[in-house]
Amino acid sequence: MTAPAFYSPILVIVLPLIGGFALPGAGLLGDKLNIPRLREYLASAVVLATIYFVLDTSAGLGEEIMVYPLGGWEPPLGITLVIDGLGILLSIVVSIIAGVIIIYSLYFFKEEDRLSQYYTLMLFLLAGMLGVAYTGDIFNLYVFFEIMSIASYSLIAFYRTGDSVEGALKYLFIGSLGTGFILLGIVLLYAMTGTLNMADLSMRMSVLSAEGYSLTALISLGLLTVGFGMKVGMIPFHAWLPDAYQSAPIPVTTVMAGGTGVIGVGALLRVGFLVFGSELITPLLMGLGLLTMVAGALLALRQSDLIRLLAYSSISQMGYILLGLGIGTSLGVSGGLYHLMNKAVFKSLLFLAAGIIVYKTGSSDMNKLGGLAVKMPVTATLFGVGALALVGIPPLNGFVSKASIIYAGIRAGHPVLSALASFSAALSLTYILRAFISVFLGESTPLTEDIKFSREYRLLIPVCILAVFTLLLGILPGFGFEMVAEAEAVLLEPLEYIESVFPAG
Amino acid sequence: MSLNYLIVVLLVGLGLYCLLTKRNLIKMIIGLSIITDGAHLLLISLGYRAEGIAPIIPQRMMEEFAVIAEIGVDPLPQALVLTSIVINVCILALAITLIILNFRHKGTLDPFELTDLKK
Repeated sequence: MTAPAFYSPILVIVLPLIGGFALPGAGLLGDKLNIPRLREYLASAVVLATIYFVLDTSAGLGEEIMVYPLGGWEPPLGITLVIDGLGILLSIVVSIIAGVIIIYSLYFFKEEDRLSQYYTLMLFLLAGMLGVAYTGDIFNLYVFFEIMSIASYSLIAFYRTGDSVEGALKYLFIGSLGTGFILLGIVLLYAMTGTLNMADLSMRMSVLSAEGYSLTALISLGLLTVGFGMKVGMIPFHAWLPDAYQSAPIPVTTVMAGGTGVIGVGALLRVGFLVFGSELITPLLMGLGLLTMVAGALLALRQSDLIRLLAYSSISQMGYILLGLGIGTSLGVSGGLYHLMNKAVFKSLLFLAAGIIVYKTGSSDMNKLGGLAVKMPVTATLFGVGALALVGIPPLNGFVSKASIIYAGIRAGHPVLSALASFSAALSLTYILRAFISVFLGESTPLTEDIKFSREYRLLIPVCILAVFTLLLGILPGFGFEMVAEAEAVLLEPLEYIESVFPAG
Repeated sequence: MSLNYLIVVLLVGLGLYCLLTKRNLIKMIIGLSIITDGAHLLLISLGYRAEGIAPIIPQRMMEEFAVIAEIGVDPLPQALVLTSIVINVCILALAITLIILNFRHKGTLDPFELTDLKK
């Protein structure tokens, strides 16, 4: 293992940004010089290079935390990138998911002249996600989060049909209210401490709240939790999520389930655990997680649209993550983080597999679909793998993380939580089985009769990649837990993070 | 000074009220920007110092750094507010674009009529 090149962390963020700005030019150039798909080549090259630099940054670090002062300004004066365990975990997950989605998009979209816009926004989205993962400055986190959110609002409305505009508008209103709350929360933090560097904030907050938390601190925590909750669609604030997921193009839905959703939870964890400390944030996460998990699964039961059902199940899986982190023991936190990674993988797998069905039949209404297992056997198998991982059947990845969350609940003296988590797993079996049966088994419907086995194998390649990850993370749990170990250490013991940013003390 | 903070509370409250009770997308957008304006006012007020001077230190006055730091206003909130204003202009522009597209499709500005997806 060699140390990462000193320029890797900044390239991770800057490459997709520059690539995004260069893409419309590449699109025009490709049209003019008659090179078809020039922008697709550029977009894939940029994402591949970004994945390379993410892995380069992560691989060499081991247990180290890398501090990268932007422009040479030392913390706490300048903006600092701090690449710690949580940042590494988030950046690896989202960049790989983004790479898979780019491959999928190459074949999913029929020739459309607005595709330059799609790839541009996708690269901005990636830049925003990686920026949130790497930054050590809370206001910078807010800015990157907004880059990501604004890109996703516009991506949802990419088709500009009535439905997709409606979904985008709902997300935009609730998301922007969340933005306002997050901004207010950050302003209150600045009012209390006079700093924006998160390591500095963590130190000053622990001094300030040595004798109990002030009202301002509690209000700020509440605003930030509600703000991030609105952005990721936790249950009292979830109204936009099914609509946006259902109406967006499938690759965008997938990047929201496996990318921005993961980053939103990651940002909440970063701010919650690092700035406020685990005693204050864990009860909140536990309550929200419990509600999100159970209510999400119950709501998923009554859906008749495949994508909408998967959207509610996505909410429910986020509940597991929050619950695991809310338990707050070492096992619970690593189980939650493991589930964060797993959810991104198997949820993307399910959405992309469902996307193939939408691509072939033009509908995601489960009442109109049926008998597809014969026509699309590979898709059915891959969807089945994702469904089993979602329920938590060994040897797939969902089993490992759900089992550790349930076990952590029992060990921490909360058997009720574990019982409810198992109950939700049973519910998830019910709804995903119903979806599988009504889409793949039974009689052919008028819509599915004429489907022929044809060029869909190109769309299957990225889905297969995800299925391999699902299997690998299930049969090699040691590898997975090793990946989350550093992130768990950072969340539970922020001292190491602070000492890396301020070596003198 | 406390007047500023009173107005912040008033602005955020008004914005929330507007967002929750108005049944017109354009009015809801106005409510959203009032909320963020409240946050911006709070941020600017934090950096204000009565009788303060501009926080610029010429090279030849570096030895008086401590004095200027004492009486200068805090420059950071101004930079933050500028950044945040830019972000909110983006959101505003995008929101209005989407509202116009939505109006072309459905001919309504009422958020409660946006129910096509729930069917």
